[in-house]
Amino acid sequence: MSEMQSASGDAPLFDQSFQTTGQIHVDCPRMTASRVDVYYGDKQAIYDVSLDIARNEVIAMIGPSGCGKSTFLRCLNRMNDTIAGCRVSGTIKLDQQDIYDKRLDVVPLRARVGMVFQKPNPFPKSIYDNVAYGPRIHGLARKGDELDEVVETSLRRAGLWVEVKDRLTSPGTGLSGGQQQRLCIARTIAVSPEVILMDEPCSALDPIATARVEELLVELQKNYTIAVVTHSMQQAARISQRTAYFHLGRLVEVGETTQIFTNPQHKLTEDYITGRFG
Amino acid sequence: MNERQQVVYATVQASLKRRYARERRFRTLGLSAIILGLSFVLLLFADIISKGYSAFVQTHITLPVYFDPQVIDPSGQRDPAKLARANYRKLVRAPLRALFPEVQSRREKRQLYRLLSTGAAYQVQAMVLADPGLIGQTRQLALLADDDVDMINKGHIDQASVEERFGTAYWGWLQQLKQQDRLHTRWNSGFFTSGDSREPELAGIGGAMTGSLYTLLVTLLLSCPIGIAAAIYLEEFAPRNRFTDLIEVNINNLAAVPSIVFGLLGLAIFINLFGLPRSAPLVGGLVLTLMTLPTVIIASRAALQAVPPSIREAALGIGASHMQTVFHHVLPLALPGMLTGTIIGMAQALGETAPLLMIGMVAFIVDVPNSPLDPSSALPVQVYLWADSPERAFVERTSAAIMVLLAFLISMNACAVALRRRFERRW
Ligand SMILES: Nc1ncnc2c1ncn2[C@@H]1O[C@H](COP(=O)(O)OP(=O)(O)OP(=O)(O)O)[C@@H](O)[C@H]1O
Ligand SMILES: [Mg+2]
Repeated sequence: MSEMQSASGDAPLFDQSFQTTGQIHVDCPRMTASRVDVYYGDKQAIYDVSLDIARNEVIAMIGPSGCGKSTFLRCLNRMNDTIAGCRVSGTIKLDQQDIYDKRLDVVPLRARVGMVFQKPNPFPKSIYDNVAYGPRIHGLARKGDELDEVVETSLRRAGLWVEVKDRLTSPGTGLSGGQQQRLCIARTIAVSPEVILMDEPCSALDPIATARVEELLVELQKNYTIAVVTHSMQQAARISQRTAYFHLGRLVEVGETTQIFTNPQHKLTEDYITGRFG
Repeated sequence: MNERQQVVYATVQASLKRRYARERRFRTLGLSAIILGLSFVLLLFADIISKGYSAFVQTHITLPVYFDPQVIDPSGQRDPAKLARANYRKLVRAPLRALFPEVQSRREKRQLYRLLSTGAAYQVQAMVLADPGLIGQTRQLALLADDDVDMINKGHIDQASVEERFGTAYWGWLQQLKQQDRLHTRWNSGFFTSGDSREPELAGIGGAMTGSLYTLLVTLLLSCPIGIAAAIYLEEFAPRNRFTDLIEVNINNLAAVPSIVFGLLGLAIFINLFGLPRSAPLVGGLVLTLMTLPTVIIASRAALQAVPPSIREAALGIGASHMQTVFHHVLPLALPGMLTGTIIGMAQALGETAPLLMIGMVAFIVDVPNSPLDPSSALPVQVYLWADSPERAFVERTSAAIMVLLAFLISMNACAVALRRRFERRW
């Protein structure tokens, strides 16, 4: 891997024998990725990443900009399919089922593995319709009352109900940034996914809104498996049980969050969390 | 300030004047370009309006018409078929003869009768057919004047030229009519309802407008769904490969093909091959569809591209299928842009002349078409036809037709702009 070189010297940062430090496997995984490579055209963005995601855990993914966190996350519900020229190899399983299987339909997959994006992206429709959209297209709630109930529970779970219950018909785009992000979370959990992928969900939010979303994640963890990409190490420390450190397309180290932050095993991880890199 | 900062400050100060001067020059340049453009538009409008406004009124001669039973219905049976065939020309000529008893020679008489349009007799005929009770009565009727009378009355021809062309007596008759307050201009409703005619005073844009309407209707019904569907397919569903690249290049090419070529194509395919009727708005609409399709497709694709990817991701991320994403989220956001493109395409189609000439919509057609299959003309073609006619009265009609055409174009484009404003960036 001669093209992968450290920023400072000429010595290759990763050689052929590179292995992820720490426990990549868990006892009872919800999702397992093994030997995943991702290419954008000719350019490889992810190198040989294997990682398990346990049930009802929050796993944080950290690493310097451009290291492939978003790319890896988007593999987990095949959002990468929408990018022309993006190619994924290796296997990713959800409950023992290969999600890159040719016969697998991505629509139910994405209903099971939902995604919240970095920038809040509510539909330019009413708050109610934003949340109701998923249940409607999947036929989860047909009758009006049933749908009302799903919308209310989802908004309550997302901690937004009190703020919006009197204006469910006003446009979702009219909310504040933090409210919009919680609306997007409500929209995602309205279809009761098993896994929620979040790509820097708080990067557009102020500290108060961030705190609310973080509380929400801790709350949601009881029912969902959550994978969060974040640039804030404090945030990773507050909300996650496990942390995965990515560097230049490799999964360098993964382990208990407390261990990663207090006693990192790999030099690169240590450099990153002590602020010497990234 | 240290030395370096002082140098920077001085340099910035020194360059400011030059920078502002450059900005001013650029502004003046831009402004003068706009003023130049606007003044040409104004000039065009002023010219057209000054020539054309008088066509919206038409000169009539008020004469006492006796609905003579001897002429209309000597048998007294009031048979509509017979009433329709009666000699109404005689009725409208009688009051003229009575007004000018000094006119005796055949030649002079013929000239006198020509003060009235041939339409005057039809006016009287229509009245009788509508109400046979008029027979036997005398009515003061405003009868349609000949186009020469109209032109002289509107002051487009001066006394010297009139006396030279029509003789001194003619001028005298008109003066006498004027003194007796028999010469009036009235709102020219016939201009909007009648078809073309050899007589300028009878010619109207009704036929051409209806033809244009049918043509545009066909164009809209075809190019809007086909264009939007093609755009959606190409933008959202088609794989990106050589073949779709080829299609893309060809669509852009199609937009640049001279319109007359589309006319030739229409003639060869729709008329000669498929045997569709000549001069029909249906064929015109088909040809213009070929022309507007690229415009609609290109505008629709641009509208689809303008929808932010975050909306697509949001929908896909909760498990909407590709089709649902497109039709529930992308399309509603792109629709205003698509409609704007369609309206602009329609406006282009409305002004298009050359391809219509090729498929025979340039024929002289008197009847207002009743269906897209009837032979018909179109507004811009009517302008072209009238602009070629020698009669002075057609000059003002040409300009008036242009005014109507421009009014349609302006309101269509205004619609497009309003639509764009209204729905601009809702996300
Ligand atoms: N659509 C794309 N086409 C080509 N290359 C891409 C694309 N998206 C990402 N990449 C490349 O893949 C690599 C990983 O990108 P990725 O977005 O996953 O990084 P990231 O870790 O999420 O960074 P950040 O923290 O800045 O969001 C980068 O080198 C990036 O340039
Ligand atoms: Mg990212």
